[in-house]
Amino acid sequence: MTASPNASSSSAPQVAVAEGPVLEVDDLRVRYGGLLAVDGASLQVPRGQAVALIGETSSGKSSLALGVARLLTPSASVTGRVSIDGCDATALTGREFRTRRAGLLGYIAQDAMAALNPVQPVGRQIGELFRVHRGMSRRQASEQAVRELARVRIDHPEIVARRYPHQLSGGMRQRVMIAMAVALSPPLLIADESTTALDVSTQADILALLGVLKAETGAGILWITHDMGVVAEFADWVAVMYAGRIVEQGPVRAIFDQPGHPYTDGLLRTRRDLRTGQPGAPLFQVAGAPPALTSAPRTGCAFAPRCPRASARCTEQAPPLAVTAPGCLVACHHPVGPAGQPAAGLAGGDEEERS
Amino acid sequence: MARTLIRRLIYGLIAVLGVAVLSFLAEFVVPGDPARAIAPRATSAAVLENIRIQLHLNRPLIVQFGDYFTALFHGNLGTSYVQRQSVLSLIAPRLAATGWLALAGVVAEVLLGASLGLLATLYPRVRAAVSALNLTLLAVPQFVVGLILLLIFGFQLHMAPVTGGAGPAEIVLPALTLGLAGAPWYAQIVADQLSDSLSSAYVRTAVAKGLTDRHILRHHVLRNVLSPALTMIGMDLGSYLSGVVTVEVVFGWPGIGLLAVESLQNLDRPVVMGTVIVGAVAVVFFNLVADLLRMYVDPRTRQEQA
Repeated sequence: MTASPNASSSSAPQVAVAEGPVLEVDDLRVRYGGLLAVDGASLQVPRGQAVALIGETSSGKSSLALGVARLLTPSASVTGRVSIDGCDATALTGREFRTRRAGLLGYIAQDAMAALNPVQPVGRQIGELFRVHRGMSRRQASEQAVRELARVRIDHPEIVARRYPHQLSGGMRQRVMIAMAVALSPPLLIADESTTALDVSTQADILALLGVLKAETGAGILWITHDMGVVAEFADWVAVMYAGRIVEQGPVRAIFDQPGHPYTDGLLRTRRDLRTGQPGAPLFQVAGAPPALTSAPRTGCAFAPRCPRASARCTEQAPPLAVTAPGCLVACHHPVGPAGQPAAGLAGGDEEERS
Repeated sequence: MARTLIRRLIYGLIAVLGVAVLSFLAEFVVPGDPARAIAPRATSAAVLENIRIQLHLNRPLIVQFGDYFTALFHGNLGTSYVQRQSVLSLIAPRLAATGWLALAGVVAEVLLGASLGLLATLYPRVRAAVSALNLTLLAVPQFVVGLILLLIFGFQLHMAPVTGGAGPAEIVLPALTLGLAGAPWYAQIVADQLSDSLSSAYVRTAVAKGLTDRHILRHHVLRNVLSPALTMIGMDLGSYLSGVVTVEVVFGWPGIGLLAVESLQNLDRPVVMGTVIVGAVAVVFFNLVADLLRMYVDPRTRQEQA
């Protein structure tokens, strides 16, 4: 479940093995110099399930993911507790974490072209994992790399293994990235906008592949995206980030049916307009722009300036994440009520304001 | 690959030929009479005329041009006016001397430049000092660097010979001069490439694979840094081989650059032509070698096979 430890677990689907979540993030803070990019985020990824972390650019979703994976530049400071597959990753030294990291988590980057070494054949880049971490010989590693390529459904893997990244299609490169991420069968996969750069049909193929791998290996997936379509198709859980904080989390169905946070509601309304709206009809937009990063934790709710439901209380007191429905957590003083009737009122006002 | 190679060879041949034609014509623009340069000071007009006839200098330009290039296509660079030796036999030892100097100079500039670039990238504290040094080295003309080195290490400290010549002891200062003059370029290219590479997504991937810093540097960063430096090494080898005139003059290094200067002063046209052509061939050849090496190092520069 995506809920923080105090959330009810009754709504967790039965697919999850009762071994505890593969990822537990507790009160994670990421700072770049003086700027606070992630402001105390807590999150869980259950075994064999996908958690979508959504939010706008600079909402802190990538910082959270990279902070978990310890892939941030040394100038960034990370505090909080990260536990992967029951192992307290924050307690490990850099060296200990390095030797274990490929077995703990696989990282799938957004742009596979840039994320693969341009001057090495892809087979060697996959085989490197087995040479370094499994002590295989060059030959064994290259044979293993071919098997890994076959595992991500690449045809003629023995030929592809000898190719360089620039000789492959975008979808193939992303498959190679995935093959590297899952090579040592880590319990956790972190996908950082991994399908954003791909065309729609390739995107669907990659999502299907990840779905199969998730079922095969029982790995949990943390999926960073701003694509609500991907969330609806692929994820089991959603966590919504805004200005460095998680403002809402819960099962995909529940949140898509009944968002609690006005920001989530706005995102979903835009998506609904995109799908069902008349051509030329005005598209619902969340008014205003996301706030700039600040150095100190904010007082009050970061969304308040853009929120049609905001009251004086919202600017003074930060709303805590609270259970609204089974498995659902919302950080809002005035959550959107059931059946969307408050949302309709809010949207009307907003549209008038914009027109 | 083979097609690229053949095409590049043809282009190279055209370039060398173009250089040869232009410099042949340029020699006739240079004022002065080779016959006078060869003959002793007080020589009668009849003797001078005789020399001109012997050297075919009395023939029309077009005929001399035809003669020269016919011989050139047969691999004959002609005979020196002054030394009465074949140009090839004059150039060969000089080319060897310059070759050693060019090699030592490139090694020096690559080592110096790469170290400076590494320092500037890995230790931000010294970055400003390194760029100041780079700027200074760029601003000071090569012959001044050479003269300063000669003054300090030759005349003051007596650590290096000052009399000229081509030996292992004599090569140190000229090579260092070339190295100091060329280092800033390599420092810049190494620093740029290194910082690009270190902040690249593929290095992040390598970190995510749990590799050690050392492994990442060796297997993922180095080759990506090497590739643009290779092109520059090729260009430098070519241009140094075509004559590092100032350095050879300052240090009295008996290389092809010094030969070119001497023969220009003597209006020894065949030797000048010979040094120019050999230089052009060197430039073309080493650029080609560098590009081939680069194709080997960086697969993106290889052309897709159809």
